[in-house]
Amino acid sequence: MSHLSPSEFIELAEDALDPRRAAHADTCDACRAQAAVVRDALRMSETAEAVPEPSPLFWDHLAARVHAAVAADPQPRAMGVFGRLGLRPLVPTLALAVAIFSVALWTRDVRPDAGAERSAPGAARMGVDAAPDTDTSLDGAHEEVWAVLTAAAADLQIEEARAAGMALQPAAVDRAVQRLTAAELAELGRLLQSELKRSSN
Amino acid sequence: MTTRVWWGTAGPGCKVTVANPTDAELVAASLAGDRAAFDTIVTRHSRHVYQLCYRFVGNHEDASDLTQDVFIRAFRALKTFKGQASLGTWLYRIAVNVSLNRVSANTPAAVPFDLRLHGTHPGVTSQEESASEALLRGERALRVRAAVAKLPKKQRATLILRVYHELPHEEIAGILGSSVGAVKANFFHALNNLKKLLS
Repeated sequence: MSHLSPSEFIELAEDALDPRRAAHADTCDACRAQAAVVRDALRMSETAEAVPEPSPLFWDHLAARVHAAVAADPQPRAMGVFGRLGLRPLVPTLALAVAIFSVALWTRDVRPDAGAERSAPGAARMGVDAAPDTDTSLDGAHEEVWAVLTAAAADLQIEEARAAGMALQPAAVDRAVQRLTAAELAELGRLLQSELKRSSN
Repeated sequence: MTTRVWWGTAGPGCKVTVANPTDAELVAASLAGDRAAFDTIVTRHSRHVYQLCYRFVGNHEDASDLTQDVFIRAFRALKTFKGQASLGTWLYRIAVNVSLNRVSANTPAAVPFDLRLHGTHPGVTSQEESASEALLRGERALRVRAAVAKLPKKQRATLILRVYHELPHEEIAGILGSSVGAVKANFFHALNNLKKLLS
């Protein structure tokens, strides 16, 4: 029979291990020794002092401090645009789509010729910061895509982005969206429309 | 039993009367604009949040600041609370995050001011035990807490939530965003490391 796993040692210490596996610890010297270590450490950990009770006035003061702090805050919204439309499950997908485009933009920007390609002529050669390029400006055909993307970026919560497996820097979504080219916007719009249709089915 | 009046969610200007509202009702009322409902959330959960923060930082001042921070963050993020976990679990999750951000694995173990001043914690003495026994117990408790403070963050959080808050492994997994198996494994390694640190 195999030795107990870390999880099983915890279950053994908490008397929650399957009796057949617990019986192994009685016959195996290595497991018995490890189980003793876990039990001993658990017993020692319980000897830490209790958290001292603060003054009875503390709780009222704490509540008052929190009340004063949140009083200056705007009222938290129950849901954003996507929540009201019942599309919150779509937000991580949107976030992921924006992130993919961000990575695409980043990889494009780190190409040696990218700066010259996207900067004003001469600026890159002179080593000065170029003004934002203007070839990403939106024409009328992409206004709808822009509106959807803006709503997605505004509605995006850090928690949801993290749930989608991303770690966003502040304003990263805004920057990414602003730097999409017309073709990229069109492709992203197609993806979003496809997801919207899928989620509404 | 007290009966309080809450601004309800049935519509603007509509009040509903709820006796001992549930956490979900309080969250809904808070999102509807009732600041008193959030006050009740604070009152209801502040003790557990404070005790958890104290376990990480080891002194009243920092624990108090962290507790306040937890509830301010909770208020701002209330709209993201989906009710999948209990409100208490959600608040614990915030508390663990802000506490771990405050302390680092390299931070020397914090020693309560009272303990530094008096050599033992005032709360550990009792009429039955002698002064030397109390001193010994206080020193042992101090060593244990110093050792806990040296544990890696996730192991420390797991041990604190399991041993001192007696939370089930499943709830700890929800708080730490990991699996039950990972929680048990972390607990195992925390205890092993604790044993080494105290030997």
